[in-house]
Amino acid sequence: MLKIIIVALFFIYSSLHAYESEDKLQVVLVGKVAKYIKFHDNTTDTFTITVLRNNFGTLFDDIYKDKKIHSKPVTIKYIQTIDELETSDILYIPKVSSKELSKILTQTQNKNILTISDTRGFAQKGGVMQFYFVSQKIKIRINTYSANKQNLKVKPTLLRISDVVKEDKT
Amino acid sequence: MKRLNMKNIIFSTLFLTLPLLSNDTLFDKDIEEILSTESEMKADIGSRDGARNHLEANSAIDVVTAEQIEHSGLTSLVDVLRYYVAGFNAPETSVADGSDHVRAYTLRGMSADQILVLVNGKRLHTSALLHVNGTIGRGSSHVDLDTVAVRSIDRVEILRDGAAAQYGSDAIAGVINIILKGMGHKSSVSVHSGQRTKGDGQTYQVDSFVSIPLAYDGFVNITAEYKKQRDTQRAGKDDRLAIPSVKTHAGIPESKNYKAMLFSEIPLDGDVNIYTQALFNKRDSEASTFYRPPSVDSSSNPVEGFLPLLRAKIIDYSATVGIKGEFSDSTSWDLSSVYGESKIDYYVDNSMNYSLPSPSAFDNGSLKFSQSTTTLDIKRDFENFKLAGGAEYRHENYTIEAGDISSYTRTGSEGFAGYDPMNEVDEDRDSYALYLDGIYNITEKLMLEMAVRYEDYSDFDDSTTGKLALSYKLIPQLMFRSSISSGFRAPSLAQSQYSQTSSYVDTSGVLSAQGTFKTDHAVAKSFGAKDLTEEKSDHFTLGAVYQPTKNTSLTIDYFYIKVKDKIMLTPELSARTPQQQLVFAQHGVSKARFFINAADTRTTGVDIKLDYKHLFSNNSELNFRIWYNYAKNEIINSNYKSAATNDGSIKTMIEEGQPNDSWKFLTTYEYKKIYTTLNVSRYGSYSQMMDNHNYKFDAQWSTDLDIAYKITPDFKVAVGGQNIFDTLPDKWDGLNGTFYGSNGIKSYSRYSPVGYSGAYYYVRASYEF
Repeated sequence: MLKIIIVALFFIYSSLHAYESEDKLQVVLVGKVAKYIKFHDNTTDTFTITVLRNNFGTLFDDIYKDKKIHSKPVTIKYIQTIDELETSDILYIPKVSSKELSKILTQTQNKNILTISDTRGFAQKGGVMQFYFVSQKIKIRINTYSANKQNLKVKPTLLRISDVVKEDKT
Repeated sequence: MKRLNMKNIIFSTLFLTLPLLSNDTLFDKDIEEILSTESEMKADIGSRDGARNHLEANSAIDVVTAEQIEHSGLTSLVDVLRYYVAGFNAPETSVADGSDHVRAYTLRGMSADQILVLVNGKRLHTSALLHVNGTIGRGSSHVDLDTVAVRSIDRVEILRDGAAAQYGSDAIAGVINIILKGMGHKSSVSVHSGQRTKGDGQTYQVDSFVSIPLAYDGFVNITAEYKKQRDTQRAGKDDRLAIPSVKTHAGIPESKNYKAMLFSEIPLDGDVNIYTQALFNKRDSEASTFYRPPSVDSSSNPVEGFLPLLRAKIIDYSATVGIKGEFSDSTSWDLSSVYGESKIDYYVDNSMNYSLPSPSAFDNGSLKFSQSTTTLDIKRDFENFKLAGGAEYRHENYTIEAGDISSYTRTGSEGFAGYDPMNEVDEDRDSYALYLDGIYNITEKLMLEMAVRYEDYSDFDDSTTGKLALSYKLIPQLMFRSSISSGFRAPSLAQSQYSQTSSYVDTSGVLSAQGTFKTDHAVAKSFGAKDLTEEKSDHFTLGAVYQPTKNTSLTIDYFYIKVKDKIMLTPELSARTPQQQLVFAQHGVSKARFFINAADTRTTGVDIKLDYKHLFSNNSELNFRIWYNYAKNEIINSNYKSAATNDGSIKTMIEEGQPNDSWKFLTTYEYKKIYTTLNVSRYGSYSQMMDNHNYKFDAQWSTDLDIAYKITPDFKVAVGGQNIFDTLPDKWDGLNGTFYGSNGIKSYSRYSPVGYSGAYYYVRASYEF
């Protein structure tokens, strides 16, 4: 009986990650998509991800601890308002109002920042990358016009698996 | 000592190791793998907290996804729920008048009208039909789930808890929330064709889902479906004939279904969305009544035998318009209005009225129920506290229209007598509700939810209900949950206002009336009938959720539901006291039945569910689920000793008419282009009383299999079968009646949870674009 339990446990443990939380998928994807983006003005020693009004607990710290993106160690910064934003490669924006989003996008314009959010309509409203969920799968929507304005070059491999928005809606 | 050490290792591993494995290798996966990783299953029911992981809810919630619906191979939502949800019962009845056309379903063996149905969180109106025959669901009007096109569904959430304090009337056995596909879904078209192994019951369905994206993630989603269902014939021979032969049709009725669904969201400036959702169903359904053997009419002219056919033309639709948004302080609001209507027109063909020089076709009248609901919801999040509140106004109307004169005059049309002008009714009622729902995260591990709801109905007293729910995470893998609540169910307008009387010539040649009478009719009052009042309920649940890994979950939930003053339809009663005999004589009535707040019932049981998912190194995926449901229903107090609950057949129907237990063994396996679904179900034994004798029917197994193959990423074909081993329920054992009996016209019980039409095989194909 004991052997059966042990085998069952091994079976169970050998297949972790069948399901993941939406939060974790988003946090992981933030770093994964960065690998498909060329950040032109990036001269810093670290790769910085700034999180506005963090809703993810310690997930960003846990996942990016000792990780590297574009061969640079990752630094996570947390800010409460967009006015606190300093130099950053990625800005993760939580669900925000249209008014606040407009302010954020204005303040991040032409700063070579990859803006990411799961705010509804984010990509069409001028953000660079939007995450959304359909049938328990995370999806990516990219506004290539906004990416170009931010001087970010998105690799075709990422565009191929993403939903692409081309218009300028800003 | 060695064994003890091994046990220690196991439990240490279970409880301690797993948290250390968090946030591990997901980051090292390819981006394509991350995009194909399933996220947690969220549900937006049981709390006004918004969608959250269904395993972290403080009440038991189950979710059936669009993918599961597709791979069940089923075309009816009722069948889908019976397929996936242990304790969900939906017998296939026949020769039961209107009940053949609107299928009743129950949860935990309770009444069909004790389930609230929502679409995207908005109350869906009930059918105009009131089940008045001896079927499961007798005495209830419930939502007709077959009005919903399954292709439009993103997921179905089933709350297994009382929730009247959150959603209002009817949420006693549970709540079904149908979530429609929103933004980002691919358009698709699919076809389905199948038949029974006996060569009948052919089903053809074609449906299409079209999603039109709008600016800023808005969308218009339209679903259209056409389904043609041929009948099945499982009747036995009619021994009333000189040469016994099969004349009556017993089985699934013949029907044509046209369905359309709409769901759209249009984002406006300033974080405001306008949304609409609509449902339309037109169903033409035809079912048999019992065969009428050769006889003579009222003028002693010989009449050949004939099989009256009851046709129901059902139009059911619902439309919702709403606007929702968010203020700058994160307070969200939602104002919506829903109008829904169900209308059933009855016709009888191939029949006659013995007392008239009769036509063969009759217009037998119609039933209509409409409901409009206007709701305002407001939610606000504070640091550790979430508060939701709102108000609701509901207006309902119920009408009965008489049929043509030949359908109800004297003996009426054979098979199903028409509604006569005395049955006509056009009644309204209003209700107002105020509610408040708060969630307090006391600590990271402990959550408390409180809800209170006040409702005031125009046709009976007001009602205040409350709910208190608690969840506690002992360790990250183990959560305990419990809830205690009160609930109610308002008597439906159909229960208050329905009447149908038909006449027959008794043995002495006197024309007598019998049927269903309103509670305010003198005949009903002679038995002490009173105006119906609400059913009141008390609920208690206690459960645990154990997730040793992210691919394994075990839930155990005990439930206790006590319903006071359950509304029931009495059996057919004859006058017994001199006073009753006088009233019966005055109204020319021989037998009567009516609704009463008849009894108090108690439902207790447990759900145990194990879900396991395994990803193999070759990227194939195995899902396995075992689900056991046990529910015991008892009448614990009868309010009318001589009426409804004192009748053995009704007591048997409530306490033993549905399986006390059921099992589901569901396995899916996906490898490359192949997706296989195997579902083995066991439905427990049940009993039906006939001629004052209780007949027991053994448990039945049913096995369903679906194998789908992706020819291209967008084009899929599948073959499958339901009840592939062609199991049949027990026949009546020891009953040898003409109509009901092992060799009678109906040799199977109408309570059979799997039906008795046997195996069904199908092919289907779908294309996404």
